Amino acid sequence: MSDLTNFFAFLGLVTTLLMVWRQSRPARVRLLAAQSLLLAVQAVTIASFTGRGGLLLVALALVVVKAWWIPRAVGRMGTGGPARSVTAGRSAGIRLLVAGALVVVAYALILPVSASSSLPTRGGIPLAFAMALVGLYACVAGRDAVDQILGFLMFENGIFAFGLLATYGLPGLVEAGVFLDVLVVVLVIEGLVIQIRREHASLDVDRLRELRG
Amino acid sequence: MTLLVALLATPLLAAGLLALTRDRLATVVHGVASLVTATLALGVSVAVVRETSLGALDGFLRADALSAWMVALIGVVAALAALEAPHYAGAAPHRFYPFFHLFVFTMLLAVTTDDVGFMWVAVEGTTLASVFLVNFEQTRASLEASYKYVLICSVGIAVAFLGTVLIYFADVAQFGGAEHVLRWTTLRRLAPGLSPRTVEMAFVFLLVGYGTKAGLAPMHTWLPDAHSEAPAPVSAMMSGILLAIGVYAILRFKPIVDVAAGPAVARRLLLGLGLASIAVAAAFLWNPRNYKRMLAYSSVEHLGLVGLGLGFGGPWGIAGAMLHIANHALAKSVLFLLSGRIRSAYASTEIAAVRGLLARLPVTGSLFFAAMLALMGLPPFGLFVSEVLIFGAGVASGHIVVTVVALGLVAIAFAGLARTLPRMLYGEAARDGERSAWMAAPLVAALVLLLMTGLAWPPGLADALAGIAGVIAP
Repeated sequence: MSDLTNFFAFLGLVTTLLMVWRQSRPARVRLLAAQSLLLAVQAVTIASFTGRGGLLLVALALVVVKAWWIPRAVGRMGTGGPARSVTAGRSAGIRLLVAGALVVVAYALILPVSASSSLPTRGGIPLAFAMALVGLYACVAGRDAVDQILGFLMFENGIFAFGLLATYGLPGLVEAGVFLDVLVVVLVIEGLVIQIRREHASLDVDRLRELRG
Repeated sequence: MTLLVALLATPLLAAGLLALTRDRLATVVHGVASLVTATLALGVSVAVVRETSLGALDGFLRADALSAWMVALIGVVAALAALEAPHYAGAAPHRFYPFFHLFVFTMLLAVTTDDVGFMWVAVEGTTLASVFLVNFEQTRASLEASYKYVLICSVGIAVAFLGTVLIYFADVAQFGGAEHVLRWTTLRRLAPGLSPRTVEMAFVFLLVGYGTKAGLAPMHTWLPDAHSEAPAPVSAMMSGILLAIGVYAILRFKPIVDVAAGPAVARRLLLGLGLASIAVAAAFLWNPRNYKRMLAYSSVEHLGLVGLGLGFGGPWGIAGAMLHIANHALAKSVLFLLSGRIRSAYASTEIAAVRGLLARLPVTGSLFFAAMLALMGLPPFGLFVSEVLIFGAGVASGHIVVTVVALGLVAIAFAGLARTLPRMLYGEAARDGERSAWMAAPLVAALVLLLMTGLAWPPGLADALAGIAGVIAP
């Protein structure tokens, strides 16, 4: 079991790093969907080894909400805009370097903590934590609304993977609340982004400068 | 026990009803629901004072002294805001009232659930319910403010979620599948056995996350925008109680961290963030240009003071911080509601545009004057007493340097406000038609409450504060 969960956790971090590296927006949305599917597979794996039926429901919710519905919504936000959000002179090099450094930081921070776990999944905990930190960085460093929401979802997926590996998932009611929350956040932001595009003809948050001081 | 369920059901039901009703009927439903909510809120507080704690739904809902304090504050401030709301709901009540009551519901749920996982869901719910209210006017500026608000707070609150998962992890790693492990009462019981390292790390995430909601610097950047763009009753609720709910969430975890990892962890972090917040606010308040932003930054200052009080700790620090939360809620909600009247008279939120406030709007102007004096921490108002308690706790706990620096920063903010206020109040202006004077009665009542916390504590206040100290004490 440990081998499988470690492998999926590793793949999860790889998708996160690929999302930092890729510049094409549709490609990153596809990577997000793939990452969410991976989480569902992870949940099913843990469910089949531990006999926790509730995780199958979680996996189903992951597929419907995070792998299907949310990527579509984010895809809609991006339509009309340019396929690439890059401006000249910006490369992925620096961002990847920061992301790599964050992976190291994540290991340094979490290893002493995850050592206290006795679950067979503990090997993947630092990988999931790194996913979360890199996602948070991608969100904060994002230059336009779609970048930021993608980063937010990467962060959310990282936390989810962390919860899955460290605790086999949170209590059902809380988990349901979290799904609902992510869904509504994406809906609300989609609505705002549509209005922003209408007002500013751009998704670039640098143009949001009405409010200062 | 059914009291708690009724308290939560009322605003939720009202939100549903108001989504369906229109026109005059909507105003009536809004009024009745607000009245019932406020009455039930006060009822819960009184019941908690009598019975020390209330529970419902198999312990899922629970109100102790700390919850009761927050429930009472939400009741009072939401009632004040509800009275003014019909002047703002205007053309689109169906976009205002349902979210108003949903906002109240999420805030009440956050402070009455015993499950810290669900508390997280409710706190995030406050953001999602209020973002539509921030964007109510649908201008470019309010759109920008809403986007910043929902993004920064959602990310912040996701950080708090990571902290919650870490706490759950510490719990599960230590105690396996104990029942209701995310209940606060369970956490409290298990705290001595939790891994100090994990809990310490969890608290850093929780503090950054919920600190974002509390408007502590450097995570405060959404606050001035959202507070200044929202309609006045919404600003009043956001500034008066929503920020306090961020503090409440931090407070729930503080005793657990104090027990598991020692009191130094929370103290250092709270003092650092508190001082940073006061510094950021003082820098802005020295020369503000927009009076709604001025009030918003003053919230950052006062929440920073609350952080200091909790960091200093001890009976004085905690009592001072809790009292300060209440005093600030009263003063700031009155000021934001008045700012709405000023804005509709002068059609601007620039300080330079407001001249002769006392002459033009005598009732609004003199209330604004009084509430500003209260906000600046002058006696005989309650904020003076709570600030004295907080700084006293600083000296008593031996944090002389922090106390002196904070006093210096507060003095800068004070001087800035003292320079600005006369520019708004005085000057030649023709007298304007004002809303009838008795419409100001609720605001006067709030100021009277502020005088009471400053001069003569009503019976039960000292007991309530002692009860809270008992809840938070490690």
